[in-house]
Order: sequence, then structure tokens, then C-alpha cells
Amino acid sequence: MANRTSLGLAIVIMLLSAHGIYSAHEWPLKAKLFPLVIAIPLFFLAAAEALWVIFGKSPTASASDFKLSEDQPAEVARRRTLLATGWAIGFFVLILLLGFPIAVAAMVFAYLTVQGKEGWIFSVVFTAAVWFFFYGLFELLLHMHFPDGWLFGGFGGF
Amino acid sequence: MLDAFIQGLLLVLQWKAFVFMLAGIFVGFWVGLLPGLGGATTLALMLPFIYNMQPVEAFAFLLGMHSVVATTGDITSILFGVPGEATTAAIILDGHAMAKRGEAGRALGAALASSFVGALIGAAALALAIPIVRPLVLTFGSPELFMLAIVGLAFIASLSAQGARGMVRGFLAGGLGLFLAMVGQDPQAGVARYTLDTLYLWQGLDLVPVLVGLFAIPEIIDLVVRGTSIAGNAPAGRISKGVFEGVKDVFRNWWLTVRCGLIGTFIGLTPGLGGAVAQWMAYGHATQSARTAEERKGFGQGDVRGVIGPGAACNSKEGGALIPTIAFGVPGGASMAILLGGFFLLGLVPGPDMLTKHLPVTFSLVWTIVIANIITVVACFLLLNRLTALTNVQGHLLVPVVLVLVFIGSYTSNSSYADILVSLIFGALGYFMVVAGWPRAPLVLGLVLGKIAENYLYISVARYDFAWLGRPVVVVLLIIAVGVILFPAVQAWRSRRAHG
Repeated sequence: MANRTSLGLAIVIMLLSAHGIYSAHEWPLKAKLFPLVIAIPLFFLAAAEALWVIFGKSPTASASDFKLSEDQPAEVARRRTLLATGWAIGFFVLILLLGFPIAVAAMVFAYLTVQGKEGWIFSVVFTAAVWFFFYGLFELLLHMHFPDGWLFGGFGGF
Repeated sequence: MLDAFIQGLLLVLQWKAFVFMLAGIFVGFWVGLLPGLGGATTLALMLPFIYNMQPVEAFAFLLGMHSVVATTGDITSILFGVPGEATTAAIILDGHAMAKRGEAGRALGAALASSFVGALIGAAALALAIPIVRPLVLTFGSPELFMLAIVGLAFIASLSAQGARGMVRGFLAGGLGLFLAMVGQDPQAGVARYTLDTLYLWQGLDLVPVLVGLFAIPEIIDLVVRGTSIAGNAPAGRISKGVFEGVKDVFRNWWLTVRCGLIGTFIGLTPGLGGAVAQWMAYGHATQSARTAEERKGFGQGDVRGVIGPGAACNSKEGGALIPTIAFGVPGGASMAILLGGFFLLGLVPGPDMLTKHLPVTFSLVWTIVIANIITVVACFLLLNRLTALTNVQGHLLVPVVLVLVFIGSYTSNSSYADILVSLIFGALGYFMVVAGWPRAPLVLGLVLGKIAENYLYISVARYDFAWLGRPVVVVLLIIAVGVILFPAVQAWRSRRAHG
């Protein structure tokens, strides 16, 4: 899994840097100097990593970084990862469609009842607490403007 | 000089100035805790309030607020893995790993103590450096500043993963960061580079949504996968018990704390590099303090030195950044540029006057940093039990709240939905990097340094052609960069020889 992901990342970086080099050719020297200085070695480094994955026999290097938990079976981990991704993307879509104020309440309540299997009363109270914190701090205190959702005719925000 | 020093303290302790400082600390405390709400933005928002204040009151308010933001930003980073501030992302790597191991108290204790020591180092540097800093800053032209950026990147890229392959990945991540930093309008020719024909990307990728996505989204996914609280199955009573162990860790690693504090001060006083660079440089240096490759593997898994280094650097940089701001009117970063605006609003002109006529006001800034940090650290220690208890809250209660904070934090940087999209994209990238074992730190440093490095490289080439490569400080920095890259290989070779 780690090697396949590394290969995927390397290929994406190769494509990105190739696009970077190709696009830079049309620009004046001032604008293309740094992109070329960076993108050319980046392409070759990514190619080296890709070849390393395909032909290399050395064990996967570990980074000084956070590691994902491995205490769940692979199938469960994959399903929950997709679920978490779904919730995050779903929340974003809700924000686009309904606007922040409604989306925050809808998302917190839905997550608690569907994913957390919490009771209705607890979910309503918890959602209300989160919503009042959001509304009190960002709307009342900081006067931040959150555009209406697309469903309410406000196609702004981008 | 001593008179002015004491006078500075008395000025801050006047009741009105002190009350304004407390108000600033209160605002800064919450701004630091909330992801996305940046210290610089808040400084700008608070600037209009200082019109009717005396200089000492105004700086007690502004600097009191600004100097605690990084301290409380560490708390969010450690407890939730979401950067409270762009300048507190490096502490996530080991701090949040400790929180997940049930050592949130120890990590917070170490972060607060090192932040406090760092703040004292920065304040002391500010007090001591004023007469001697001028020649030092003036020796650094564009070529030296470009090389300093390269040294920083070499540090983090070569030390954030093990072995030759790890180094390739470190440099790949750093290169990707530099490449992404080129998105937006080119500062020299005005060409729109890699903007995908969208107006949003003309100003480049904003650091806040990138950081929030890169670090928070993989943590949220992991929390959902584990289905437990952040601290997992760690016994409840243990979590906040380690607070004083964390404080002791700072004293056990005293010289590391001091060195990272000095790194922060130096980065702070170097115009244009900024706080986001200081923390990663300090993290790189903390990683370097591991004596063996085996020991270095502990970084990223919850090594307390990975908390102490960035913690100290993050706060010491404020004192450092004030030095060129006060002495030459050259701000060390965005926050200092806004503070400089405050100077002009109050009728003060940075420069020689601040070191002669207004010296007590200058020293009142030193005292504000010290007192604000004492008050914040004491307040944080009093609240630690409640804060660390959050790591025992079940994941399904935390995930929606953290997601709300992540999305609002991203959105507030430019008030654009595109910021949230950027967070999601970088969240996916961060997740795949973690799966593949690629370090994320070099990517962030590359992104932070990209624009700065490009500007300095362009000025160096335009002004000196290739002769800038022969300048003495450039050569020294080049040797340091090569040394840093070779260091892990030499260390591995020595370790192999020692083990026969």
C-alpha cells in the first residue's frame, strides 16, 4: 500500500513538474528562472523515486511524521477512511448548498445521530451548544460574513 | 540604560497599561486556540482601537495579545492535531503523537515551559542586542538571505526521514513545496503562473488552508478509523499527570531549548523569513540532536524534543522580530509590519529615537513580552486539567466539532469557499503522504520559503550576477547546507563502525 501510494505521488509530481517546465517556456526569463530551477530537479527526483519503487529492493523509509493507526483490520480501516472522507466532502457540499449557519447545525446533528448513534435529546443539546458557539463567536463577536447557500439564491462565496 | 530598563517595567505596571495588557492577553489566548484566526489578522483588526491610547498602553495591548498567540496555538496543535496558528504546525508532529499516547499533559507542560523560556530568550535578546545588532543585520544581503532559506530547507529535508531513500522523499516534499509556492502572480514580471485561470490563485496558495488541510484532515480520518478518543485507551487519570514531567523535560534538554530559542530569535530578526520558518528550523535542529539513526526514528512518534524545539523557537522569534522593527523600521514579518503601523499611528518613528529618546518605551516592549508570557503560562497551567480532559472525549463527539473548526478556520483566511476546497485537496495530499511514509514538514517549509527564496535569488542574480556565490557568508552557509545534508550519512557510518 505504502509503495503503491508512493509511486502514485511520484507520478503526480512528475506530471506536475513536467507541466511546470512546459508552461514556463512561454514566460520571460524573470518569471521562468525559479520555476525551471525547481521543476527540473523535482522531475528527476520524482522519476528516481518512481524507479526506486518499481525496481528497488530496499525497505520502505519511515518519515519523522505521524503514523496512521494499525490496530484495526485493513478492511475496517478502509471502510472508515471512506466514511470520514464522505463526511468531510458532505459537509463541504452542505456549506455550499445551505450556507455555513445551517450546514454547521445539520452536519453536527447528522454526525451525532447517524455516525455516533447518540440519542435525539443529547444530539439536539450538543448541536445547539456548537451552533451557539459558532454563531456567538464568528457572527456576533467577529462580524464575519457567511454567504447564503446556493439553494437560497446566493451563488457567491468563491 | 538601567534606569530606562526599570522605567520600562514601571510603565507596563501602571494600572491602565496593565489592564490593556490583560485585555490583549485575553484576546490573544482565544485567537491562538482557534485554528485559522491568525495573530497578524487580529493585530490588524485591533489596530483601530489604539488611536486614543498612550504608546505604552497601546503596545501593552497589541504586544500582550500577539506574544501569547503562539503559546495557546500550541495547545490546539497538541490536543487536536489542528494547527492553532500557522506558526504552531511543527509541534503537531510529536506533540499530538504524545497526546494520542495519553501524554497530552506532558506534551503541554513541555510546550508551555519551552515557550516561556523561548519568550525570555527573545526578550533578553531584544534588550541586549539593540546596540550590537546593526552590523549583524547589515551583513545579510539578498544572497545571504537566499542561502539561509536553502540551509533551512536542507535541514528539514535531510533530517525528517531516514536513509538515502528518506532523504530523496524529504527533498521531493521540499521541492513540491517550493513548486507550489510559485502558484500566483510572479512578483518580477507580473505573469500569472499555474493559476488554472482562476482569480483565487492569483495571490498564491494561502498558508492557513494548506496547513489546516495537510495536518488536520489525516488526523480526523485516523480518529474516525480508530473509533476511540484522541488518547485512545490510555488510562484517564494519567493524561494530565505528566505536566510537571514535561516541564522537567525542558530542563533535562536545557541546551536544546536555549539553542532553539536562539534559532527562533535569529530567524525572527532576519527580515522576511518569519515565524513559520523558525519552528521548522528548530524542529530540524531538534531532530539533529538525536545521536543515532535509531533515536531519530522516535521523532514524529512522540519525542518530547520535537515539542521543546518548536515551542522555544516560536516564542523567542517575537523578541527577535522586534529588533529590526524598532531599530531600523524594517519589520521581521507580517505581524511586525502591522505593529510598525501602530508605531506610526502613535506618532513614534522607529530608528535611533527609539534607542535614545524613547528607550523606556522600547524596554516596556521587552517587559510586556515577559509579563504577558508569565500570565499566559500560569493561566494555561491552571486550565491544563480541563484542557487535557478533552483528549478523553469520544471521537464521535470531537470529529464534527473539529471539522467545523477546520472548515471555518480555512474559510476565515480569505472568506472564500475555495479555501475549504484547498484544505480538502491538501488534506488528501497529506493523507497520501502519511500513507506513503513521506515527511510533510519539508513541503510546508518549501511553501513558506518559496516566494522569499525566489525574490532573494532574483535580486542576487540581478545585482551581482553569479559573483554572489563567492561572498564569504554565502560560502559558509553553503558549507553548512552540505554538512547538514551529509550529516545523517556520516552519523549512520559512525554508528555502523561503532557496532563493528
